[in-house]
Amino acid sequence: MPFHSLTCCARRRLLAVLLSIAAMPLAPPVDAAPRRPSDDAEVLERLPTRAGDASARELVALRAAMTAAAKDPAPAERLAQRYFDLAMARGDPRYVGYAEAVIARFPEPLPAGLLSIRGMLRQYRHDFIEALDDFAAALTLEPRLAEAHAWRAAIFLVQADYPAAQRECAALQALHKDILYGSCKGLAQAYTGRLEAGYRSLQKALASSLNADNRLWLLTRLGELAAWRGQAALAERHYREALSSGRDDGYLLAAWSDFLLDNGRPAEVVGQLADWESSDTLLLRLAEASALLQSPDATRLAQTLADRFAAARQRGDTTHRAEEARYALHLRKDPQEALRLAAENYAVQREPRDARILLEAAIAAGDPAAAQAARDWLHASGFEDQQLRELGRQSALAAVARQAASAAPR
Amino acid sequence: MNYRRHLLRTLHFLLCCHALPVLAHKASDSYLVLEVSGSEVKGQWDIALRDIDFALGLDADGNGEITWGELRARHADIADWALARLSVRRGGACQLRVADHLVDTHSDGAYAVLRLAGECPRADGELRLDYRLLFELDALHRGLLRLRFDGTAHAAVFAPDRAEQRFVAGQSSRLAQFGQYLVEGIWHIWIGFDHILFLLALLLPAVLVHEHGNWRGVRRFRDALREVLWVVTAFTVAHSITLSLAALGLVQLPSRLVESAIAASVVLAAANNLKPVVEGRRWLVAFAFGLIHGFGFASVLAELGLPRQALVLSLLGFNVGVEIGQLAIVAVFLPLAYRLRNTAFYRRGVFVGGSLATLAMATIWLLERAFDLKLIGT
Repeated sequence: MPFHSLTCCARRRLLAVLLSIAAMPLAPPVDAAPRRPSDDAEVLERLPTRAGDASARELVALRAAMTAAAKDPAPAERLAQRYFDLAMARGDPRYVGYAEAVIARFPEPLPAGLLSIRGMLRQYRHDFIEALDDFAAALTLEPRLAEAHAWRAAIFLVQADYPAAQRECAALQALHKDILYGSCKGLAQAYTGRLEAGYRSLQKALASSLNADNRLWLLTRLGELAAWRGQAALAERHYREALSSGRDDGYLLAAWSDFLLDNGRPAEVVGQLADWESSDTLLLRLAEASALLQSPDATRLAQTLADRFAAARQRGDTTHRAEEARYALHLRKDPQEALRLAAENYAVQREPRDARILLEAAIAAGDPAAAQAARDWLHASGFEDQQLRELGRQSALAAVARQAASAAPR
Repeated sequence: MNYRRHLLRTLHFLLCCHALPVLAHKASDSYLVLEVSGSEVKGQWDIALRDIDFALGLDADGNGEITWGELRARHADIADWALARLSVRRGGACQLRVADHLVDTHSDGAYAVLRLAGECPRADGELRLDYRLLFELDALHRGLLRLRFDGTAHAAVFAPDRAEQRFVAGQSSRLAQFGQYLVEGIWHIWIGFDHILFLLALLLPAVLVHEHGNWRGVRRFRDALREVLWVVTAFTVAHSITLSLAALGLVQLPSRLVESAIAASVVLAAANNLKPVVEGRRWLVAFAFGLIHGFGFASVLAELGLPRQALVLSLLGFNVGVEIGQLAIVAVFLPLAYRLRNTAFYRRGVFVGGSLATLAMATIWLLERAFDLKLIGT
């Protein structure tokens, strides 16, 4: 090769490198390596349902019914509800999108049933204000729509607006929805410093409930309340009874795992959640437990979780900031980032667990002032969980120490 | 409708699940990467097989599995379906086609990969993208766009309420483009040894004066500086002229001729130092040969490619970059040479020795380039 063309080629190589750096933002995602399979029989994807499955047949029938009566909201409502149930049962958000698309075919104003389902879908996306509006509009059209009251109560509890939640509980009582009323009242009591009364309300609801789904939910919440009251053995009994039903339930598994983690039993979490990596919320618990055990899988699990959060961020999804805060604090050991996420989350959701991660992150980040909102909530609500109150006390002491230090004469 | 069945679950879902978003699988996304450069469109569109199946039905045998064979059989349908839901407009609708079908895996499963290619009616003006894939079926579907538009990177998310988005090749992007070509210009002069040697051959005598067959150092720095400025400016003006003519496609010379002439220019500049023929008017030499070097720069620019809508700006950026690169060389060379001008090291070692070495090197280049030989192995 002539020397001058060597310099030309070296030059070209350098330019190629430069250009490739400049083109980097265009490079496809890291995992991307498009390929052309050589074998027609190669299985590329397994679908969540097979054409012959009962649920697939049911969906086909529901879709056909909707198409046959395009202007009738009733079949659309059934299909949207079915999609939403599937989303919850399988933890697959695609079904939420399908349900929303079904409702979007109808012109405003929507009938009460569709409004109510749209409210559910909106709360799923944390559009709480719009969701409350939808349920309110549904109630205007159909005042006995207990479901809408229940959803509104639940949203108010999440927002820590307890007087509003109690009004919805009262509406449920007026409609003689006893189990629903007991659940509503029990949680409102628990969140406002009356754990024992709340526990009794839930227990009463459980005693009169025969439905397996309802019983599972009530047992789970009873387990949580018992744990908040410091009664670990009682909590474990409730959780185990719920687990013995044999039903898959993401929330039960998450609450049970948190209970185990709080009680220094990470090995049991790993055993329980080994097959649940596909769920982000459970993957978080699994990764935390594996990290505590220093298991060889811990790094991979944390990385998988990080990838999931990154993918959600890419599409502008902010619905799991609380979980991401927990990941940042416990797994990535980045208290500043955890605090930022926890504070953003607390602006939207104010349940005990949201307060907890905010307090923990603020203490770890050495910025107790950032958790003022959570301390205010603890103070105003009188929430009785000893662990959370201890966190609040530490955080308040740190805040006072800070102020004293900055006010001290030099 | 039976609400009763859902009553408690309602509370259940919200109170338990709201803060625990159940994203076991992720919501539906497609990944659209587009490169729009002038009127040319290239791209890649990754769409989840599950989504295509939901829209078009891919599982021909109904066994719940999608095979490559089942997917391949529907390539034409998939292309029609997808392209009908993506509109790219620049001065009118751009004609898009699927150039290739591949597959890939993302975090939530297998994706069909559509390689896109197309042409727009215009090479300038704003770009309008209208994305409607899957929105009528899945309201949570998002199109994640990474766009390179006339050299500038953009990112955007398409949603049902943000289905149409405009991109302007705006001020900032023009500035970025100018900057990009400026850097290329600097870079090119630094890695183009023949240009540097030519320049140095002309600059070596700038701190010296030839009197009565002998060289002596200039008295004042100003004298050397003036000489350098003349030479560098003449070289710049000349190569800017031919670079622009060539880049705009007005004049074209065979590259072997250009490369050989560049080598010859270095030979002559070095020889002139050893046996002065041209004196005092070295800027004329710089200008004359600068014209040749400009064609050399143009071949590099051709490799880089000039964006059509910012042609002049990019050209200017490249020229300014070359100039900055030269000035940086001068800024290092001149103070050193001035300080050493009266030493034997400079007169013999650097000036005579350097000129001889340059002459030798450039002669080899000349022979190689003119006769397409290989004299020095790689």
